[in-house]
Amino acid sequence: MINVKKIEKELTSLPEGWIGLLETSTEKAMKVNLATLKILTDKNYNGIVLSASRPYSNLVSLYKNNDINIKKIWVIDCISKSQGSKLGEDDNVLYLENVSALTNISISINECIKKIKGKKFIFIDSITTMLIYNKPSIYAKFIHNILTRMRITGISDLLICLEEGTDKEVRAEIAQLCDKVIRI
Amino acid sequence: MVEEMIEKSLAEAVEKHREGVVIMIELPAEHYLEANSVIVKSLTSTGYDGTYISFQRPFKNLSSLLTQQGIDINKLLFIDAASAFAEEIQEKNPRCIHISPAVDIDELVRAIYTSLPELKSEKRFIFIDSLTTIALYKPLSETMRFCEFLIKTVRKRGVQKIILIFNVAKDLAQKKFIRDIALRVDQVISVVK
Repeated sequence: MINVKKIEKELTSLPEGWIGLLETSTEKAMKVNLATLKILTDKNYNGIVLSASRPYSNLVSLYKNNDINIKKIWVIDCISKSQGSKLGEDDNVLYLENVSALTNISISINECIKKIKGKKFIFIDSITTMLIYNKPSIYAKFIHNILTRMRITGISDLLICLEEGTDKEVRAEIAQLCDKVIRI
Repeated sequence: MVEEMIEKSLAEAVEKHREGVVIMIELPAEHYLEANSVIVKSLTSTGYDGTYISFQRPFKNLSSLLTQQGIDINKLLFIDAASAFAEEIQEKNPRCIHISPAVDIDELVRAIYTSLPELKSEKRFIFIDSLTTIALYKPLSETMRFCEFLIKTVRKRGVQKIILIFNVAKDLAQKKFIRDIALRVDQVISVVK
């Protein structure tokens, strides 16, 4: 069981434009992800989900099953193309070659942000998976770059980091850049 | 608790090295922002003016956070290296010194050096928010050269009291280049949660 009220309380306590690092265990990660997205979209946020662990088709069905408004979410899918999966033609998905195409990911995030109106968030799912495909120092630089841009444009950003298996140094490098570390 | 520990350790280090001091502060990553504010607040509230070199956060975000913490940012000059690294347009503000996107170490050093006479107080500090963040963008040799220059500047000035602070996240403090820099500072303060 996950404590949804705790997630809600923590998220609500973050002032606009803050950046949080959400830490959880591998077992809880999916439920925490879904609960977080549900809370944010219910609070009228529109967001980008950078998915490095599940293809878009799978995410859509998960979101629908959990009553998450898919119209409020843009997905940057870094999985489907590299796995040769059939690509859908929905408007709210962008398929990228693979998880290590960090420059393309960064450009895509910037493009998506421009298309979203109102309160915005970016959800990176997940740091641990992205680290399998990227060198830690390059990945930390990528995150620093994204966070700086988010801060300049004033967009709330949320990162999710799995405690188990996450490189200790990268975790520290990213945690020190965030405004708050939320442990679930 | 973190706040008290930082204030006490910092005050002791400054008292011990009255002619100026080079300090490395090892901070828990999850209290980094809070700790940064405490350090700056502690110094500005005791008569120090400082140059804040921000590798982690853009000026706009940083100045707003510090103001929220009750810190008088008129006592600070900022070098916004974070925006420069991200190749973003830097805020035009009299308190923010512009750095070109290449973030050349010589240019950075020059900016710090020329900022010091602009500080009004006789008591001054140079605050580096994160040594490991520079190292993400610059070769270790350049990062070391940057630190060496700052240490020499502080020690050369002698009679003028300058405090130089290098911050580093605790979990990254064992990196070899950080240990090398730690050997050159006057004091290492390790902050525990």
